[in-house]
Amino acid sequence: MATYLEFIQQNEERDGVRFSWNVWPSSRLEATRMVVPLACLLTPLKERPDLPPVQYEPVLCSRPTCKAVLNPLCQVDYRAKLWACNFCFQRNQFPPAYGGISEVNQPAELMPQFSTIEYVIQRGAQSPLIFLYVVDTCLEEDDLQALKESLQMSLSLLPPDALVGLITFGRMVQVHELSCEGISKSYVFRGTKDLTAKQIQDMLGLTKPAMPMQQARPAQPQEHPFASSRFLQPVHKIDMNLTDLLGELQRDPWPVTQGKRPLRSTGVALSIAVGLLEGTFPNTGARIMLFTGGPPTQGPGMVVGDELKIPIRSWHDIEKDNARFMKKATKHYEMLANRTAANGHCIDIYACALDQTGLLEMKCCANLTGGYMVMGDSFNTSLFKQTFQRIFTKDFNGDFRMAFGATLDVKTSRELKIAGAIGPCVSLNVKGPCVSENELGVGGTSQWKICGLDPTSTLGIYFEVVNQHNTPIPQGGRGAIQFVTHYQHSSTQRRIRVTTIARNWADVQSQLRHIEAAFDQEAAAVLMARLGVFRAESEEGPDVLRWLDRQLIRLCQKFGQYNKEDPTSFRLSDSFSLYPQFMFHLRRSPFLQVFNNSPDESSYYRHHFARQDLTQSLIMIQPILYSYSFHGPPEPVLLDSSSILADRILLMDTFFQIVIYLGETIAQWRKAGYQDMPEYENFKHLLQAPLDDAQEILQARFPMPRYINTEHGGSQARFLLSKVNPSQTHNNLYAWGQVFMDHLKKLAVSSAC
Amino acid sequence: MAELYVKPGNKERGWNDPPQFSYGLQTQAGGPRRSLLTKRVAAPQDGSPRETSPGPPPMGPPPPSSKAPRSPPVGSGPASGVEPTSFPVESEAVMEDVLRPLEQALEDCRGHTRKQVCDDISRRLALLQEQWAGGKLSIPVKKRMALLVQELSSHRWDAADDIHRSLMVDHVTEVSQWMVGVKRLIAEKRSLFSEEAANEEKSAATAEKNHTIPGFQQAS
Repeated sequence: MATYLEFIQQNEERDGVRFSWNVWPSSRLEATRMVVPLACLLTPLKERPDLPPVQYEPVLCSRPTCKAVLNPLCQVDYRAKLWACNFCFQRNQFPPAYGGISEVNQPAELMPQFSTIEYVIQRGAQSPLIFLYVVDTCLEEDDLQALKESLQMSLSLLPPDALVGLITFGRMVQVHELSCEGISKSYVFRGTKDLTAKQIQDMLGLTKPAMPMQQARPAQPQEHPFASSRFLQPVHKIDMNLTDLLGELQRDPWPVTQGKRPLRSTGVALSIAVGLLEGTFPNTGARIMLFTGGPPTQGPGMVVGDELKIPIRSWHDIEKDNARFMKKATKHYEMLANRTAANGHCIDIYACALDQTGLLEMKCCANLTGGYMVMGDSFNTSLFKQTFQRIFTKDFNGDFRMAFGATLDVKTSRELKIAGAIGPCVSLNVKGPCVSENELGVGGTSQWKICGLDPTSTLGIYFEVVNQHNTPIPQGGRGAIQFVTHYQHSSTQRRIRVTTIARNWADVQSQLRHIEAAFDQEAAAVLMARLGVFRAESEEGPDVLRWLDRQLIRLCQKFGQYNKEDPTSFRLSDSFSLYPQFMFHLRRSPFLQVFNNSPDESSYYRHHFARQDLTQSLIMIQPILYSYSFHGPPEPVLLDSSSILADRILLMDTFFQIVIYLGETIAQWRKAGYQDMPEYENFKHLLQAPLDDAQEILQARFPMPRYINTEHGGSQARFLLSKVNPSQTHNNLYAWGQVFMDHLKKLAVSSAC
Repeated sequence: MAELYVKPGNKERGWNDPPQFSYGLQTQAGGPRRSLLTKRVAAPQDGSPRETSPGPPPMGPPPPSSKAPRSPPVGSGPASGVEPTSFPVESEAVMEDVLRPLEQALEDCRGHTRKQVCDDISRRLALLQEQWAGGKLSIPVKKRMALLVQELSSHRWDAADDIHRSLMVDHVTEVSQWMVGVKRLIAEKRSLFSEEAANEEKSAATAEKNHTIPGFQQAS
C-alpha cells in the first residue's frame, strides 16, 4: 500500500480536512457496516501562510439549487468558454473576465493545488470589530485590580478603529455611556428583572436602524460610514477616558453579610449586552466578553441562591434531580445564546473563581456562538492574564487570528448526504437535496453559522452514503464534497474560503484491504469521540459508554483478522492499531467520566474538546507522554505506570496541564546539585530539555495550560499518577488495558456477538 | 527590542499557575506551531506481559559529560528556560531625556489635536514625571521608555507603538495610568506627520501644475 499517512498529512496541510475513511464505501448498506461513519474534521480557516487570497469573487454554478463554486474537479471547455459543475452537471458560461483563459492559462481556482482557495469580497462597507466588556464587580480587591489592569492593557492590543463598550454588574447592572466630555454617565438596571430586547433598547434611547434587520450580509454600499453609538465608541477616541473609567471601578457597593454570597445579576447583565448589540450593530462581528468571579445569584439565570450553606449543584445533585435552578437558568442562557448567534455575535466567558461559576448553565453562550470559555482560579494569575492576551495574538500578516460571522455551506455529490455537524455552530436550517433525514449532531441542514472562530476552530461533519447497494459506481468514480465558508476577516474584509475534495469510491466486498489501508484512525477516534460527547450531553451517561463499547467491538469484528473463538489469533492491521487504545482512554476521559469533576469543569473540558483540531483533540483523549533520559533522544512512551522509571524524566501533556515529573534518581541527583558541576554538564542539559519542550507548548497554546513541575514522592505527582493509574484496584494501567484488550478480543472473535 | 524573560506564575492565587512570558517572548512565538511532541506508542498486540522494571539503580552520580555517548538530549525552544532569569544591570535612563521629547511632541501636536485631548495627554505626562521622579518606576520601564522616545523621534511609529504595547503587557501595574497618554501621543504625532507629508505633496503637485508648458493646455 502507498503511504496513506503521507496522503492524509498532505491533505490536512493543504485543505484542513481529515476524513475517517479516505476510500469511500460505494453503497449505503456497506457504509453502515463499517461502524465508523464517513465523516471529516474540517478546520475552515486553517492557517495557510503560502496561500495569498485572490482579489476577485468566486464563479458560481448558475443552477439556483446548486451554486457550487468553480473548482479543480470541474470539466472545462476552453474553446467554448464553458464549464460543467461537478456536483449538478449544469453547464455554465464563464463570465466575460475569463475570456482569456486556456489550457496553459488557467485561473487559480481550476488548478489542483488550489483545492483550497480564498477570495476577498471587494464590495460592501467594511464594519469595524466590536468588543463589549461585561464585568462582574463582586470580586475581591486584588482580583478586581488585576482584572481592571488586564482590561486596560487590552485597550492597547485592540485595533484603533474597533468599537469598545463597558457594562458592569453586581446587584445592579450599569451600562456606561462613553463620552469624551469628562462627566461619566451610566444607565442603571435592576438585576432582578429581565427585559425584552425592545425594552432595553428603549430604555437606553437607541433608535431602530433605518434598514429593517436582515439575516444576510451587512451594510449596503450607499449607507453612511459605520456609525458608533454612545455606548460603543472607537478605541482611538475613547481609550484615555475608558482607561480612567476602568481604573475608577469599585467593588460592588452592596454589603455582603456573613454566610452569604454576593448578589450577582449575570443573567440580566448578559441580556442587556445582547440587547444593546442587537439594537445597534446586528450582523457584524462583535464579541461580548463576560468576566465573572462567581455564580449568578439573583434574577433570571441565577444558578444558586445567596446562602453559602447551600452549595452549588454537583453531578450527584443533578443526577438526583436536586438542582432547582438548573433548568430555568439553562433555558435563559440558551435563549440569549440563540439570539446572539442569530445576530452574528459571539459571547466569551472568562470565569475566575475558586468555586463554580455556573459554566454548566452558561456554556451554550460560548458553544453556540463560537465564543471562548476560560476557567481559572483568579484574575490575578498568569493563566488568566496570558490566556486573555492570547486572544489578541496576531498572525504572520499582523492581523488578529480571530474571525467573525462565518457561514459554512457544504455541498456533496449525489451519492452522499449530510447528516450533521458537531462543533461551535448553530444550524441555519437550510434544507436541500444534500440533507439527510438521519441526523448526527446538528443536522437537518447543509449550512451552519459560526459567529466566532479562529484558525484552529474545527467542526466535525458527518455524512451518509446514500447510493443503493445494487447501483454500481463507474470504474474510477469519485465522490466530491465542497466546503464554502463566508466570513469576516479581522481586517474587516469579507472573505470566502472554498475547499473542494474528492475521494475514490470502492466496492467493500472486493476492495476491503484498500479501504482498510485508507482508514484514518486518529480522525475516526476524534469523530467518534465527538459523537459520544454529543450524545452524553443529551442522553444518560452509561448508555454512551455502552454504545462506544459496542461500536468498538463491531469495528474489531469487521476489520480484525482472527480465527473464530480464538482470541489469541486476533490481529489488527497497522491503520487500526492505535484505535482501541484511543477508545480505552476516551471511556476514562473527563469528557465521558463526569463524577471526578464538577459540572463546571466537565462543561469546560467538553467546550474545548468540541472545537479543537485533530492533534489537540487527540492529546485530550489520550495524553502524550515523553521520556527523557541519558539513553537517547526523547521518546514517546506508553501512558502507563511502567513508564515511570527512576532514571527518567517524564513530560505529560493532557492539553489542560503540562506535567514534568522527575524520576527518583533524577530527583536525588538534582538535590545533590550535579547540574551545577561543570563535569556533569550533560545532566544540566537533561534537566533543561523537557523544560524547553514544555515552554514551547506553554508559549503557544490557547487556553494556557496549568504547569506542574514535580518529582517522585511529590504531592503533585498525583496528576501524572492519576492518568497512568486511574484505579486503585489495578497496579498499572497496562494490566488494566490488557484486561480491556483481552476482553475486547474475546468478544470480537465470538460467534455470539 | 523588548525583553525576553519568563517569570513564575502566581502560586498563591492559582495552584499550578503557569509561568508568565514577557511580551517579547510571546510575539516571538508567532502563530501556531506544529506540536513537536505528538507521537504515541501502540501497546503490543500479542499481550506478552511487560517485564516489571528493575529496582532503582544504586545511587551513584550521573554519567559525567565526557562519557556521554552522544550529544545531550535535544530540547527545543529559546535559550531562556522556564526558570526566572535576571538581566544585566544597565546605566539608568535619564528622565529629562525621555520627558523633554515627549513634551515637545505634544507641543507639535497642539495645532492639530483637540485641546481636551492635549490637556489629557499633558496631565498624563505630568503623572509620568511625578512617578519617575518619585522613584516609582522600575529600571526596565525607564529603559524601554527611553527606547520608545528614540523611535518616536526617528518617526518609527510602529516600533514606538510596539514598545508601548510591550510595556502595557509586561508592566501594566506601573504604567497603566499614564501610558495611554503616550500611546495617544504617538498616534497624534503619526497622523500629524502624514498630514504634513500629504500637504507637502499637494503643494509640490500644484507647483508642478503651474509649470506646465504654456501651449499644452490648448490641445484639444
